[in-house]
Amino acid sequence: MFKNFKHEKIETNAGLLLVLTMLAVSVGGLVEIAPLFFIKDTMEKVDGVRPYTPLEQRGRDIYIREGCYTCHSQMIRPFRDEQLRYGHYSLAAESKYDHPFQWGSKRTGPDLARVGGKYSNEWHVQHMINPKSVVPESVMPNYPWLMETKLDISDVGDRMRALRRVGVPYSSNQEELDRNIERFGEDMARMLHIPDAQKNLVKQAQEGNYDGDRSSVSEMDALVAYLQMLGTLVDFSKIDPEELVKFR
Amino acid sequence: MSATSAVDQYDYDIIKKFSVMAVVWAVVGMFVGVYIASQLAWPFLNFDSPYISFGRFRPVHTGAVIFGFGGSALFATSYYVVQRTCQTRLFAPGLATFTFWGWQAVIVLAALSYVMGYSQGREYAEMEWPIDLLILFVWVAYMVVYIGTLMNRKQPHIYVANWFYLSFILVTALLHTFNNIAVPVDLFSMKSYSLFSGAQDAMTQWWYGHNAVGFFLTAAFLGMMYYFVPKHAGRPVYSYRLSIVHFWALSFMYMWVGTHHLHWTALPDWASTLGATFSIMLLLPSWGGMINGIMTLSGAWDKLRTDPIMRFMIVALSFYGMSTFEGPLMSLKDVNALSHYTDWTVGHVHSGALGWVAMIAFGSLYHMIPKLWNTQMYSVRLINAHFWLATIGVLLYITAMWISGISQGLMWRAFDDFGNLQYSFVESVAAMHPFYVMRAIGGMFYLTGMVLMAYNVYMTIRQGVRAAQTAATPATATA
Amino acid sequence: MIEWFSHPENTKPLGLVIFFVTFCLIVLWVYGRGKRSRKLEEHKNIPFLDDEDEVKDKPNG
Repeated sequence: MFKNFKHEKIETNAGLLLVLTMLAVSVGGLVEIAPLFFIKDTMEKVDGVRPYTPLEQRGRDIYIREGCYTCHSQMIRPFRDEQLRYGHYSLAAESKYDHPFQWGSKRTGPDLARVGGKYSNEWHVQHMINPKSVVPESVMPNYPWLMETKLDISDVGDRMRALRRVGVPYSSNQEELDRNIERFGEDMARMLHIPDAQKNLVKQAQEGNYDGDRSSVSEMDALVAYLQMLGTLVDFSKIDPEELVKFR
Repeated sequence: MSATSAVDQYDYDIIKKFSVMAVVWAVVGMFVGVYIASQLAWPFLNFDSPYISFGRFRPVHTGAVIFGFGGSALFATSYYVVQRTCQTRLFAPGLATFTFWGWQAVIVLAALSYVMGYSQGREYAEMEWPIDLLILFVWVAYMVVYIGTLMNRKQPHIYVANWFYLSFILVTALLHTFNNIAVPVDLFSMKSYSLFSGAQDAMTQWWYGHNAVGFFLTAAFLGMMYYFVPKHAGRPVYSYRLSIVHFWALSFMYMWVGTHHLHWTALPDWASTLGATFSIMLLLPSWGGMINGIMTLSGAWDKLRTDPIMRFMIVALSFYGMSTFEGPLMSLKDVNALSHYTDWTVGHVHSGALGWVAMIAFGSLYHMIPKLWNTQMYSVRLINAHFWLATIGVLLYITAMWISGISQGLMWRAFDDFGNLQYSFVESVAAMHPFYVMRAIGGMFYLTGMVLMAYNVYMTIRQGVRAAQTAATPATATA
Repeated sequence: MIEWFSHPENTKPLGLVIFFVTFCLIVLWVYGRGKRSRKLEEHKNIPFLDDEDEVKDKPNG
């Protein structure tokens, strides 16, 4: 078969060159990406991981809007120094509702995968308004406008519907709500119910009082709510480390 | 042998437009680059403004240099090379004009949308869905023009430079489409959410991210190299057969290596190991290509002394060799454990981008622009000055990033005698200040060289246009 | 069947075999018999045929 195979066939036939190039470039992507979509055991089964509440999701939108990922990662690697500095290494399951993922590629600032609960709300607010006032050597920009800007909550329902379409289990009817109650517990399931999105958002912001000002919901409220839940969902004291190693 | 015939023989108008915009976007993109580098050294430059804060401005820099400068240079040279090696005019010139206006609109809209706060949050693919759709249309038009021109060729053989350009066009279409699948919040909303999540999304993004480097910034610029280096040296490429092996090995292997961006993450281990393995193997074709380019000059080394354009090309190839050695090194899991998340990665990208991509593009543009306007470059001394400013700039830049990157890596993992972390994170930030200053200065050198090029190109074009006018006024067109 | 790919002990040698066989085939047909090699090398002159009206119509130069 190869005796009849003339190299000129490729070099003089644009179509064939096209097809062969396509073949050559497709193999790598297929072999590496395709399995991720079919294999069930690429991801650990851990309790606690849930979709973001409306307020947290809006905070995440702001995190992306301001390009935080250009300086902060959200992916702790399994090394002793990272364990000491940031906490338990990140699991795939912990970002399974992240559309898009925000693992990042650069740490001009520290990793944020488990920043939740490490600092007070007041610290975060002060740090966002003027990072140098709490960390004098910081090179982070000031974000004063987050405090001044009212959070746009008009399309939060649409946003959740879009996320539902890409696979996040927000509920839009009673049946889905019941399923979520079983999965995430009564209180959380009601938080994830799309028809109540705006109400839930305002309620969480007021109860959490993230920016220290209860009179209105600012972008700061949303961002701090998001930062404060990062990495807090999985209770590692209840997980056998040996079990996790299998997925590495 | 007169160049006048070539001006009529080929479709040059579209190439002229793209060449000018390549220079314009280089100046803009590099200026923004120097600015954000300065923000890291002197944070007050963020001026408390949302529009120019680092996080929003950084994609403006990457977009303007990769897609604005790199993209326009690739459109220009690919239209030039495909016409001249196929000895035919462009297929569907109307569509080609659409690719010009469409592509420029993409760059402008992308930059505006970033400063306004619209971003997909995926590196080098931050454009939101309406801009992604426009890119898709432009790219399909580009494919039609390019493949149509190849089909119309008068030369039976397709020259190897076109193979590289073709694979770049195909793969970019593939990458762009699959990495940007997203569901918009609403038909009238700029915001969308990506179809994939978590580990799958990371895999897709870095399959895109690394192959954008592999095909947009490498394969395509190799196409440029395989035409302009032999053409400018006046001697054929060292080995044509080596160039074919280079092509197939590169096309096949590059697509496997994206996972080396995700070492030690929650991505399954086998995927990143596979990526590392292929990254090492990729060294062979890369160096084969570099040797092929450099050896093209064998027997004409004296040109390096007199011709700054040739110098640009050879230094570009040297940086290509350097970066393609550094890359596989950094893809080793143990090295990556240190280098990942640090400035070393930033330095590596820039040794490739400033050293290889931009320099081979400068060399090619300096060769091509006088031919397009049927004149000579306005000033060879300015080219020479540009060359030295650029070389010193890159060296300052990558040296600063090596030192800061490796120090960051070492400081983060340092333990004291009691087994505690030796440094807090912010101590590593403070220690980087001198290197961030040095990097910004390196960038300023590089930008200054670029401004000289813009002036030189402007004067060259003016000179060419004037000569054409005086030739036309006597109304006695030379037969 | 897809699960088979998820085990590194399978995919590593597979990758190696695919790569190696492809590479050998390419090298073989590029550097193979003398005639083809010579013909291939002639194409390197294409960039020098473009400036004038003396466009060569002869196949393969």
